[in-house]
Amino acid sequence: MSYDTHKTWFYQLVGRDIHLWQYVESNATDTLAGIRISLPDEYYGKQLIYPDEDITNGLRVEYTALIEPFVDEAWESLTSTISGTGLEFVDGGSSADTITDTGSGFVTAGFASGDKIRIIGSASNDGDYLLTGAIAATLTVATGSFTAETASQSITIYQIPDEDTTPDETNHVNLNRMLSLAVVDYIKAQLSDSKGELERKEYYMREFWKKVGDNESNKRKISITFPSGPFSLR
Amino acid sequence: MTVLEIMERAGMKETTLAIAWMKDAFHLIQSNVKEHTKSEKSNIIDGIREYPLPADMIALKSISIKDTTDSKYKRIRRLTHSPVVSEDTDPE
Repeated sequence: MSYDTHKTWFYQLVGRDIHLWQYVESNATDTLAGIRISLPDEYYGKQLIYPDEDITNGLRVEYTALIEPFVDEAWESLTSTISGTGLEFVDGGSSADTITDTGSGFVTAGFASGDKIRIIGSASNDGDYLLTGAIAATLTVATGSFTAETASQSITIYQIPDEDTTPDETNHVNLNRMLSLAVVDYIKAQLSDSKGELERKEYYMREFWKKVGDNESNKRKISITFPSGPFSLR
Repeated sequence: MTVLEIMERAGMKETTLAIAWMKDAFHLIQSNVKEHTKSEKSNIIDGIREYPLPADMIALKSISIKDTTDSKYKRIRRLTHSPVVSEDTDPE
């Protein structure tokens, strides 16, 4: 049984591997009737050991990746969304699974067959799904998608852009407008580089990083206050 | 913004190369800011120390271990030095 894992586990990065270490300051342990007990006569002291237990889905790695770089619609143009406590998930068994809405508001909210949706707030059906059908009271998805769930929790469903793995000129980059403009600068820099215009390349790369930095600044609300000196003249 | 609009703004005509450079730019952005993140879970096995980083990883954000007493993932810290291994049943 793992506990206080933020205090008792450590990692090390070695090449393309994560090495996990468990900190122990104890005797040798054994499990008795499901409870881990220490063996008093075998004191080991403080040490790092290899993981000494099985944990299903015990390691979680959060990271950035080349996630859906090209999509079929711009994020800004997607407005379909619905929230409420009247949304119910139906496991259709061998038939298609569905979501029903007691308010029959799916079409009014803008959902249509072929849309990709994201569900948040449900007990066991959060995730991304592709709609195979949409009418006022029912959204349909592929068989085996949902676990049955009655209407009770506050759930939100909204449309997200669908990835295109073979992008062409009609696709959108999966970035907001500021970062899309940064991409324009990056391409200008590469074009300048291919022509041997290195000063111009440097200029456009600076513009690229400036826009990436501005995009990060836009996520933060910063206020700056200046103390006034006691003898300042006004 | 569409691929075509980016190409027109940059004055570029080759679509395939433009898309390749857009991926490069996306890669650079993802290396430096956490614009799109994802997570991957894997089982921890008794006695096994090495676990591979995700093959598609660009930048690492965090590593967490599941606390089975409350079923929450808790972020763990990185060792700055290699520990001294005094007893090893599986030397490399």
